[in-house]
Amino acid sequence: MTDTSNTRTENIVISGVGGQGVLTLAEIMARTALQEGRNVRVGEIHGMAQRGGHVVCTVRIGAEAYGPIVDHGTAQLIIGFEPIETLREIHLLHPDGFVILNSHVQHPVAVSMGKAEYPPDDVIRESIRMFTTRFVEFDALELARQAGSSRSMNMVMFGASVGTGLVPVSASIAENVVAESFPERFREVNVRAFRTGLKTIRSLMR
Amino acid sequence: MAKLEDLLDTTIGRRVLLLANEAIARGVLEAGVRLVALYPGTPSSEIGNSLFKMAPHIPNFYFEFSTNEKVALEVAGAAAIAGVRAMMVCKGPGLNVAADPFFSLAYVGVRAGLVIVVADDPGMWSSQNENDSRYYALMGNMPMVEPADPAEAKSLLLAAYDLSEELELPVLFRTTTRVNHSRAGVELGPIRDRPDKVEFVKEPFRFVPVPAVARTRHPWLLKQMEQAREISESSSLNFCIGREECEVGIITSGVSYNYVLEAIQELDLEAEVFKIGITNPLPRDSIVDFLRRHKRIIVVEELEPYLERQVRAFAQHQDVAVNIYGKEDGLFPRVYEYSTQTVVDALTKILGRPAPIDLTSIQEKEKRLPDLPPRPPLLCPGCPHRATYYAIRVVTRGKAVYPSDIGCYTLSIAPPLETADILFDMGSSVTTACGIAQVTGQDVVATIGDSTFFASGLPGLVNAVYNQHPIALVVLDNRTTAMTGHQPHPGTGVTGMHQKVNPIDIEKVCRGLGVEWVRTVRPFESLAKLVADVREMLEWVRENKAPAVLVSREPCALLTAAERRRSGESPPPYYVDPEVCTACGRCLNRFACPAMYLDTETGKAVIDETLCNFCGVCVSVCPHGAIKRRE
Repeated sequence: MTDTSNTRTENIVISGVGGQGVLTLAEIMARTALQEGRNVRVGEIHGMAQRGGHVVCTVRIGAEAYGPIVDHGTAQLIIGFEPIETLREIHLLHPDGFVILNSHVQHPVAVSMGKAEYPPDDVIRESIRMFTTRFVEFDALELARQAGSSRSMNMVMFGASVGTGLVPVSASIAENVVAESFPERFREVNVRAFRTGLKTIRSLMR
Repeated sequence: MAKLEDLLDTTIGRRVLLLANEAIARGVLEAGVRLVALYPGTPSSEIGNSLFKMAPHIPNFYFEFSTNEKVALEVAGAAAIAGVRAMMVCKGPGLNVAADPFFSLAYVGVRAGLVIVVADDPGMWSSQNENDSRYYALMGNMPMVEPADPAEAKSLLLAAYDLSEELELPVLFRTTTRVNHSRAGVELGPIRDRPDKVEFVKEPFRFVPVPAVARTRHPWLLKQMEQAREISESSSLNFCIGREECEVGIITSGVSYNYVLEAIQELDLEAEVFKIGITNPLPRDSIVDFLRRHKRIIVVEELEPYLERQVRAFAQHQDVAVNIYGKEDGLFPRVYEYSTQTVVDALTKILGRPAPIDLTSIQEKEKRLPDLPPRPPLLCPGCPHRATYYAIRVVTRGKAVYPSDIGCYTLSIAPPLETADILFDMGSSVTTACGIAQVTGQDVVATIGDSTFFASGLPGLVNAVYNQHPIALVVLDNRTTAMTGHQPHPGTGVTGMHQKVNPIDIEKVCRGLGVEWVRTVRPFESLAKLVADVREMLEWVRENKAPAVLVSREPCALLTAAERRRSGESPPPYYVDPEVCTACGRCLNRFACPAMYLDTETGKAVIDETLCNFCGVCVSVCPHGAIKRRE
């Protein structure tokens, strides 16, 4: 099956902290796109970069996506798992791009040691708005907890990204892929988290 | 990670989302490879991890995590000489470890296909250098194949086995991080049967390269490589796309091919692209024809000017007057990885075109961003290494020299632990400690992981014992090869075939090698005991002027966390009692567990319960007893 769509390449960037489930989200998103018959490329970094450090993954969907990398100013969507990790990749955003931000802060050790400062909330928001006005935020960790587990935060973010309409996949296929991606006892909570994210973004974008 | 049933699926033609490393593992099945031996190394690690999962389900298949890469290549090389398809896998620096058998194998050749997969790491995402392994192929006279994406990772692997058998030579299969760690749809092909047992047919005057034999093998090798070049000329792995009659010709290989395709599109540029899949030996005549067809030749490749220099040599040799542009003119970078932007930038410069996207406004905005606190990779919450390094710091107060090694624990370079002072390669903690101890009067406390200890620590330790080097060596035994994704090693008691065997005991090994002071400690049992043991070890080394080894044994925090999730247990969390906490900052500033953070209003520490891994070491670190556990 080849991707016969002649639409633009959708460039999606997922940025967060090692351990938050960034890689899993990228893989599930790509698997969904593949099920939809789309050509897809995922770029990930493993190893040293996973240990609680900054992690960034890219998903590119479109017939003409060849390489895995998303360049400056070309991302239609940035899925930010953490405020400063979103800012760290904000230069990748296309001028018309969209940002989903999980507002829950994960404190870097340098800040706890008093060696660096975490930028204040308003500075973070203003900085994002410098790059785009299309920007929504919510506490995805809290939503994940409500769904049943803080570890399902990545599926809240997946639901939200599908809800933007910028990931060229249907919500029902996405939900099926989420369901089949987890072992049975984690299935329900992840599907619930996905739905929560979808619902949240739809109400925020209304 | 791809599902096991997808990797083993027999539905021909089905497309599955695979990481290129998983596609290579699948390729092992489709190529009928009988034996794979490797030592894990990122960016190649998931090849081994996938095969480890697949191994018990494949008939007539043997897989092992070898002690190190040299061992792995010797095991695989011998199997291919015996007559079955075999594979060795490593990262760039791993091929350096295996360099010795690498060169011999090209001389003696193989009877069945042997592919050596090497994963280079442009950009050094997880390596100590970005050395360009393509020169091994050139230096060793070994054919080389380079895939550009996950689909080619499998299809070119199959071609590499055919090439290897046609030439009776091992083939180097060179990938880079952005190939290894990209994921795409890959079409499944038929699975090939593997023989059970073969007979080793003796031919010592081929396979034992004593000088008299080696002298006959070198001309043979060169003859094979000339045949390889002829194959390369007509191989479908080397192909051109685009119109022949145009000014610009681009020569490229590997991951850069993708960037070239996207850059051409972005610039709406008319160019013919020569994509080279067999990058040693290069299809010289086809390249010369290509050079003659165009006025400007642009060579696009990451790292060293490997293709570029050979292309220039062909042009000179065949007297082709053509402009060749590449990194020797400074038009392309020689460091780090490329992206489409890199290629666009260079093409616009070379061809004098305007840039398709104006990046200046983005760059202007970037300058106005606030300073972001760094977030480097760190030892995980609950990592036993943190406790051990904390104890080493307490005893030595930062004044000893701390030779480090390759593994998660190199992350102790970061404040506040700062216990990594010198590092070359796998095993160098022990040997650099020897060198430093001999010429300084300083205490030397070296640290090495359990897997690294077996991989390359042993010869150094023999050296330390025999030559009486006064070093303190701490083996950080977390019961796994953690950094590369938790592979078993000789100390774990599990093989690549999932067989339960007797683990090799590090303490016994050290005693057997003649280390007189050896002790095993459990860092989570008592921090005070750990500190006392480190102190005693150092005093013993000072007094006896000989090596001492402390084995600090505690399973990796990620393994215990996974185990906890599997069992569904949720132990009572730790917390900081704000009534007792004096805001002294000892836990945050000296221990610095990422699960603890500063409440900027009170100046006191807080434990993030979603990150805590329940090691409980912070309880002992707090001088005021403010860290407690909920009932």
